[in-house]
Parts: sequence; structure tokens; C-alpha cells
Amino acid sequence: MEYKTIVCDVLVVGAGGAGCRAAIEASNHNLDVIMLSKELLGKAHTSMAEGGINVALGNVDPKDDPATHFKDTVVGGNYINNQELVEILVDNATSRVYDLEEMGAVFDRTPEGKIAQRPFGKQSWRRTAYASDRTGSEIMVTLVEAIRKSSVRVFDEMFATKLLVQDGRIAGVTAIDMKYGDYLVFRAKAVVMATGGAGRIYKVTSNAQLDVGDGYAMAYEAGCEMIDMEMIQFHPTGMTRPESAKGRLVTEAVRGEGGILLNSEGERFMKNYYPQVMELAGRDQVARSIMTEVIEGRGSPTGGAYLSISHLPKRIVEFRLESMIEQFGDAGVDIREEPMEVSPTCHHFMGGISIDTDAQASIPGLFASGECMGGLHGGNRLGGNALCDTQVFGALSGENAAKFAKEHSLTGFDREVAKQEFDRVEAMLQRKDGISPADAREELNNLMWSKVQIFRNEEDLEYAVKELKRIQKEVVPKIKVDVPIKRFNPGWHQAIEFAHMVTTARMVAETAYMRKGSRGAHYRVDADPDDKGYYNIVIRKGDDGEMDLKRKDLVITKIQPP
Amino acid sequence: MAKKFKTTVQRYNPDMDDSPYFEDFEVEYEPGMTVLDALLYIQDKYDSSLAFRWECRGGQCGSCAIKVNGTARISCRTKVNPDKDILLEPLDKMPIIKDLVVDMAQVTYRIRRIRPYVARDKPPQRPEIIQAEEIEKLREIRKCIECSACLSNCPIVAETWDYPGPMIIRQLARLQLDPRDVEDRVSMALDEAVYTCTTCKMCEDICPKNIKIPSLAVELLRAKAVEAGYPLAAGQQGFIDSINKTGRSVPEKDAPLLQTTETEEFLVDTPQGRVAFFTGCLIDYRMQDTGRALIEVLNRNNVDVIVPKEQWCCASPAFRTGDVHTGKAAAVRVTEIFEEVAEKYDLDEVVVACAGCGKTLREDHRPIIEEMRGEPPKFKVYDLAEYLLDVIGEENMVKPKGRIEMKITYHEPCHLGRGQGVVDQPIELLKMVPGVEYIEDPYKNRCCGAGGGVRAGLRDLSMKIATTKKEYIEKTGADMVTTECPFCTIQIKDILKGTPIETKYIPDLLAESYRKGDKK
Ligand SMILES: Cc1cc2nc3c(=O)[nH]c(=O)nc-3n(C[C@H](O)[C@H](O)[C@H](O)COP(=O)(O)OP(=O)(O)OC[C@H]3O[C@@H](n4cnc5c(N)ncnc54)[C@H](O)[C@@H]3O)c2cc1C
Repeated sequence: MEYKTIVCDVLVVGAGGAGCRAAIEASNHNLDVIMLSKELLGKAHTSMAEGGINVALGNVDPKDDPATHFKDTVVGGNYINNQELVEILVDNATSRVYDLEEMGAVFDRTPEGKIAQRPFGKQSWRRTAYASDRTGSEIMVTLVEAIRKSSVRVFDEMFATKLLVQDGRIAGVTAIDMKYGDYLVFRAKAVVMATGGAGRIYKVTSNAQLDVGDGYAMAYEAGCEMIDMEMIQFHPTGMTRPESAKGRLVTEAVRGEGGILLNSEGERFMKNYYPQVMELAGRDQVARSIMTEVIEGRGSPTGGAYLSISHLPKRIVEFRLESMIEQFGDAGVDIREEPMEVSPTCHHFMGGISIDTDAQASIPGLFASGECMGGLHGGNRLGGNALCDTQVFGALSGENAAKFAKEHSLTGFDREVAKQEFDRVEAMLQRKDGISPADAREELNNLMWSKVQIFRNEEDLEYAVKELKRIQKEVVPKIKVDVPIKRFNPGWHQAIEFAHMVTTARMVAETAYMRKGSRGAHYRVDADPDDKGYYNIVIRKGDDGEMDLKRKDLVITKIQPP
Repeated sequence: MAKKFKTTVQRYNPDMDDSPYFEDFEVEYEPGMTVLDALLYIQDKYDSSLAFRWECRGGQCGSCAIKVNGTARISCRTKVNPDKDILLEPLDKMPIIKDLVVDMAQVTYRIRRIRPYVARDKPPQRPEIIQAEEIEKLREIRKCIECSACLSNCPIVAETWDYPGPMIIRQLARLQLDPRDVEDRVSMALDEAVYTCTTCKMCEDICPKNIKIPSLAVELLRAKAVEAGYPLAAGQQGFIDSINKTGRSVPEKDAPLLQTTETEEFLVDTPQGRVAFFTGCLIDYRMQDTGRALIEVLNRNNVDVIVPKEQWCCASPAFRTGDVHTGKAAAVRVTEIFEEVAEKYDLDEVVVACAGCGKTLREDHRPIIEEMRGEPPKFKVYDLAEYLLDVIGEENMVKPKGRIEMKITYHEPCHLGRGQGVVDQPIELLKMVPGVEYIEDPYKNRCCGAGGGVRAGLRDLSMKIATTKKEYIEKTGADMVTTECPFCTIQIKDILKGTPIETKYIPDLLAESYRKGDKK
């Protein structure tokens, strides 16, 4: 297949919070930086984040400090976080948030004119900085303003399909121009992966269309070490209706601002599970509590719980939760007056590409940040820590990619590999018989939602692994695009994504199957009591092409697991 | 059986098709369904290659703007009405890549031209102290998700990229309001043609974040320009000088209505209501017959009409062009006059004949008065059609009887429909007239190009917008276009010169039908 080659110093794959931040940082080093994304600039998933960004400024609770942020993050992560990475997070959060402000971000203020902070689950102090409940949008808009000031070359609607590795070093990526269908190779001295999560492998998710796990699959296929892939956060509060809005996030800020959870009997049931912290228990804990109520017959008509904020003054709700008013208004619910119906939704991937303290992956020259990177959040991510991750590690990955690019010359790449990759995606267009991506995706979504979910067990997971292997072998090679055109063809894009989704799903299922005890978001109803779970699971592609899973010791710097 | 509705989608693949064409799809309705859901349904069931953009499906990313039944909106927050078929087209102005996906490059270039980021002359202190009050207004217009729907709907952008459009002028205001930004955004706004906006409010109406761009961005930047001493266009300043001197925005020509009416009181025998009539400058000085027609229509419906002899301009031209000082003075004066009348005649309803004045009384005067004295004006403002239908009620109206055998369409004045929420009532009045065949213009709510000081200050541009309007009107095949605003009437009459299409103010048409009915 014919393709064109574009060369740069630093290539950033992804234009969410992490990708934009990395690109800005790298471009500050007088380098030629290219940033790719599947959507238009500024439309990345990060724009959907609502509640806020964690930073121990101590503006409202002066006792807060990075050390407490560290402790909360590690305890919240069920002690399996990479503590070296957590240290980087908490030590740099303040500077990165001030960077945002310097670029033009408009956070809400305290009476003294400092950045205001709200309480979020499992945090000792009010730590989460915010702009109403559209914090992600505020950050995204700010980064876009900064990108427009920079020399970064933005190639949006550009779909990266495979990482190119040459002699053990990163060489670039193959990509498809979604607008016109052209094949392109982007060569770079260093590459930053900032491809976000993969909520879309589940039927019910809060994630944007783009979050299908391309980055996880590409990194795995290239030989990167992946970590904590079994750790998937189900956010306790997703919308339950209308059907088309199912899974859409109801921000944790609702509970942060004082929202209470009720069952069908009007009982504030969290007191039966976590009486000390009630609604602000960990996300996994609240999610399981809601599901237990539903399973035991005390759920709402649409299979969830009630979340009520109507006891708060309308003024407060209107000022601090404007997006929620709008979101539920569309569904015909006035949250100032009536309770919302909520149930868990697939929200966040704690796991991902494993990195060192330079944000470098196991392939030299490849860096990772944001949701596609793993190890930082351990078994459970605290609300507000993901946005913080995008900024701290986005900047770190950009900076180190720039350093790497300065110290290395451009490497070559294997043209045969590129050609084969383009042949592979071209074949989907030419195939006469086969399976449509829509059907295939539905099967995958249902499988993951029913078998690799909040409550896990041996039998389900074994079945899921078996099924995923079958899908990988039998369905993936048969995926066929209905209409064989290359110009902006969503059917084709979905077909290419499907292979990535299956690889990602398999990593989740395999690691979940391997972990026999409960830990963090990974909850086994048949947990082996001897498996305390104080280890990480890492995956690599073995020499035989199969998934190679290993237990790995925790990286501990300060806090020993109990 | 689930209900089905027809969705017509514009298709186009320039590689293969000579020109765009339409394709129909049957879509099964589900409660709560949005236009995006309908598109996803089509993609899933019929054609996976149908191209459209979307990401978050929750109104937060701004990817999915398309034209729905002629008006650009984000599809994920636009509800489907299963009883109506829908027509989906790509955004206007932007070149099509495929189907509903357009090339946004022009928008990007246009944004970059305004240096769209907080410019600083030195690195800030850390932490930076910013008071909540300093960012209150900024916070409002910061909600923009850059969906670009407003650019597609903007009548100015449709004519020229000299104006960057609502979304981008909003970004300028966002930067001008930011205490940290050091650029001179006011002179930049002038360079970016901030005076070309007609304040038609189309952008505000479809904004998924309900950002009041005309007032919070355009009029704000204009006010800052006036404050900084930039002169208005000669045509605009003339209006304002005249207001300050005479209380009327235009010079006297024929005998003014208020001078020729012998009395303030137009009373009926058994009144079912009593209103004061705010004439506005053009009815008083230019369209006296329309004023008389309006009084007649109200009287015929058994409504007492009080026409205060001393009236004052609402100062709409000042508000629209940024002369806040003149605007405030007028708000106080008008409120005084009508509160006095209200008290003297024991009434609390004021009928305004002009869409621009009505909008100004409601949207500009009211908050100013409320802020000044903690209490809004003591009277309510109505458009004629709104008063007759919503207050008097159709069942209590005395219907016009004279036949007018004509095909009539309607131009919705921007400051009536979007300015005051009066949309259906004027059309209902039209339909009451025997013989009238009402013809719906799908673009009835598009600006005629007169407002916002554009007719006064930038006649060429104003006429370009009007010419586009003319094309819409001609397409309806109507013999007559009616409207409810003197300004629109003058503008549309102007542009329709040389065509057989008549232009009429609704009170005039009603009065004509009443009078014809008497003769029979
Ligand atoms: C509804 C919601 C609310 C949230 N609220 C909060 C909150 O309040 N606080 C908080 O801390 N966290 C929150 N999160 C989590 C947080 O938003 C995400 O973890 C974070 O935004 C991820 O940012 P990112 O930059 O890593 O990836 P994303 O923003 O997901 O961006 C990924 C980028 O990678 C690109 N990409 C992916 N694959 C490819 C490919 N194959 N080729 C080219 N480009 C590709 C995409 O196009 C995109 O540009 C929330 C998440 C959700 C879903």
C-alpha cells in the first residue's frame, strides 16, 4: 500500500489533557512537535471531566500538604500504587495547576481570591480545585488556547494504528488520515503516548467515543510492559435513563457537595456499609453498595439508587453543579427538586503502559502519560487525581521526550512492517464476507459487562478469557467494512478499533483471572483469603506472541501495606 | 410497534458524487431520543459509512454540530420529535469533507487571528490572587465548547469572514474581561468588525451553553470601545445625538402621531382590558397610520388604550452600539413616564408596537432599573399579538371579518422572536384573517440585516444580509410578507422594491380586514 511519510522530533499521540500538556512542554524546547488525535482539537474526552483536579494547595484546609495527598492516594489505591510515581504526582501538582492558571485557566475562587477547593471521596481535606462542574472543559479549553499559541503542528482526525519499533527503539507510528483516508507514517525521535482509556469496551460507560483502548493495544503489540490492567474503576453514579444516556457520568461533586444516596425504601443505605464516610466512601465501595441494594431488591425502577441534592439551597446547586442541571434537565429531571437515578458505569482504567520516573515506557524513546499510563493509581483512582495525572505526567513525558529527542538522532524504520500494517487495514475494506464491526462490538461489550464486571468470580473470568481468545482468533480477522471507501468512513474506523478493543479486553480479563484475591476495584466474590493482593500484575507480549503475565513486587517508598 | 419517523440526510462524497444529494432513512423512535441517537441508529442499521462527528454525547465536547431542519445545533442535545420528519445537513460556510463532516480549517485560522490566549507581559506571581467578582462575567462566557453552530447560523458570517462570528467574538470578550490579559482587546474588536453584528441573537438562541453572546460579548466590547473614546459610525452617532436632544432617534418629517392625536385616552364602552401604548420613534415619526391601526385594533377588541403624549425613545440604538450612558438615562425616563401613566390610569400593561423597543424595555431597561432601585419597572411589557392572544385570549377577541385573499408569509423580527419569546402569536393573528393563506417560511426567523446599528452604520453589509433574506422570502411564493417591527418593515420594503411582493405591518393588515368587514 502506498503511504506518505512525515518527520518530526517529538510525536505526541493523543490530544487530551495529557497529550496537549506534553506537546506544549516539548515544543518549549525548540523542537518540531506533532500532535495526533482521532477527534478535532479540543474535543477529547478530557473535556468531559467534571468535578475537579486534586492539588494540595491548602487554600481552604490549610493543614493539607503533599504528604497527605500522597497518603490518601496510596491508601485509596489499596497500597498497590507505584509510590515513586505517586511522589512525582503530589510534588508537582501545585506547579502544574499554576501552569494552567498562567496559561489562562479560570478556576473558582475562595473569598481571599485563591483557588477554591472542594471535598472529594477518600481525601483527608478539601483538595479538589474546580471550575463549577466543568473542570475538564476548563482545562481542555485552556490547553487549546496554549496550543494555539505554540508551534505544535496539530494533525487532528488522524488515527494511529501501530507503533513502529526499530532495533528496540521507538521509530514512529503508522496512521490513517480519517478525513481523506490517506496512509501516513509519522517518524519521530521520541513518541509520547497519551491515548486515554478504554471505557468503550464495556456496554455501559461514561467514556467518550474515542476511548477504545487503541493505546493499550498498540503499546502491548509493540512490546511494552503493561501494568494493573485488571483495575477498572466503575463509577458508582452513572445515569440510568433515558436509554441513550445510560452510563453518562453524574459527577462525584454531587456527593462532594452533600448529595445523599437513597434506596427504594427511602433509606440512606450507605450507613449500613460505610457509616463513617457514607456517600464519600471509595468509588469501588459506593459502586458495590449500590449494586448490593439493587441485587437485594431495593433498587429504583431503572435498576439503580436515588441520589438527591434537593435538600441544598437552589443557589448552591445552580452555581456549583450547572452541568448536572443541564444534563438531567434533558432527561426531564429537575435535580433542584427531584432525586436523580444512578447506577455504576465503567469509568476509568487505572492500569496501562508501565513507566519509570521519567515517564518512559519499556521501549526507549517511548513515553506515556494520562489515562493510558498505569501504576500511579494502584487499585483505585481517587476522584480528581486523573486530571492531576494528565498535567503532571503530561508535562513530565513531554519534557523527557524532548530531552530524548535532543540526545538521539532519527532512527530508520522497517518499511515492510509499515506496508503490512496498511495492507491489514486495507484488507478490511476489500473483504467480501465477514462480520460487521457493530455486531462484533456489541458481542464484546456484553461479554465484558456481564463477565468482567464489578463482582467477579473464577467461572465468569475463565469463560471471558476463553471467549476473548476465540474472538481474537475467529472474529478479528474476519472484520469487514460494509462500504469500501476510505474518505471519512466511521465503519472503517470502528473496524480498525475493534482489534484494539479485543486486545485491551483480553488484558483486562487475563489479569483479573490471574488475581485470585480482592484488591481495590478488583473484587472477587470468591476471593482467596490467602491472596492479600500486595503485588502488581504486568503483561508483555511473549516471544511466542502470547500474553505473558507476571506478578511483580510493589514499588514502595514510604507506606508499607498493612 | 415502536413509532417511526423519517430522517433525511444530506450525503456527499466528493470523490464519487458530483454534488450533494439527500437520502431518506426510517428511524425507530425511543423516548428521549436525540438527533445524534437517530444518526447512530442509521449508522448501525443502514449505513456504517455515514459520516458525522461526535464524542461525548453529553453536550460537553462540541463535536456534533450539524444543521437540523435548517438551523445548526449540537445533535446530542437536540431532541427528536417523532411526529415530525427531520432534515439533517452539514454546517453552512464550512466546506464539506463527507456527508455531515465539514472542514473546520477556516474556523481555526479565524480563531488564531485574534491571538486567542491570555497574553501576559510578565510571568504571574504564584499563587495569583483573583477575586471571584473579577471573573463572574468571564465565567459565563467561558462555558463555550466551540461547537461552531453559531458560526453556521450567523447572518454576518454568511456574508463575510471579516466578522469572526459569535464564537470568536466571544473569545475576544473573554480575554477582554480577563484581568490577567494585557492586550488591547478593544481595538482588536474594532479590527475584527465588532460593529457588524446585528444582535439578531441567533447565536444565543441555539447556544448549547446558553451564552448570551450579543449582550455579554458584542455589546460589552462596543461599550468598552465607546468608553475608550472610539467614535461611532456617523449614522449611529446621529441617532444618539438626536435621542439625547429630542427624545426621538430620528428627525421629524410628517406630523408625529403623538402630536396629531387629540387625546391620550382611547376608551371603549365595556373594556376587557386597559393598556398604555408605547409608540417608539418610528411609529410616532414615520408610521403614524400603523400607530392608529394598532389603537384601532385594540379598541375593536374592547381594550382601553392610553397614549401618553410625552414619550421618550427606549434608546435601543444606544444600547446596541455601546452608549451605555444614553441607554441608562432613557431607561429611567421611560420607566418614569409609564409608571406615572400606570398610576394615573390604573393599569399595569404596556403594549409596544416595535420589536426592538419591546426587547429593549424587557431585556435592557428592566435589569438596569432593578439594579438601580432594587425593584423592576411596575408595568409589564407586551407585543400586540402577544397581548391579544395571551392576555385577552382568542375566545374573547373580536375577529376581523373582511376577506383578504392573499398568500401571506411572516418575517419574525429577531427582537420579537428571540428577543421577547413571541413566536407563534403573530402567525395566529394572520391566520385569523379570512381569506389569508399563510405560508410558512422555514427561514422566517433569519435576520433582515437592519438591527444592531448595522443599517445605520454599514449600509452595504446590511443590504447584503437583506438580499439573502429576500431570497428566502421569494422562495415562499407569497404575495405579501408581514412583520411586527417598523425597522424590519422599512428594511424589507426597501429590498423588495421592484418585486410584486408587498410588505406590511400586522396591525395594518388587521385594521384593513376589520374595516373591510364593516363595509359588508
Ligand atoms: C465523565 C468523566 C468525568 C471525569 N471527571 C473527572 C474529574 O472530575 N477529575 C479527574 O481527575 N478525572 C476525571 N475523569 C477522568 C479524566 O477525565 C480522564 O482520565 C482524563 O481526562 C484522561 O485524559 P488523557 O489526556 O489521558 O486522555 P483523553 O482525554 O481520553 O484523550 C485521549 C487522546 O488520545 C487520542 N487517541 C486515542 N487513540 C488514538 C489513536 N489510535 N490515534 C490517535 N489518537 C488517539 C484521542 O483522540 C484523544 O485525543 C473523568 C472521566 C469521565 C469519563
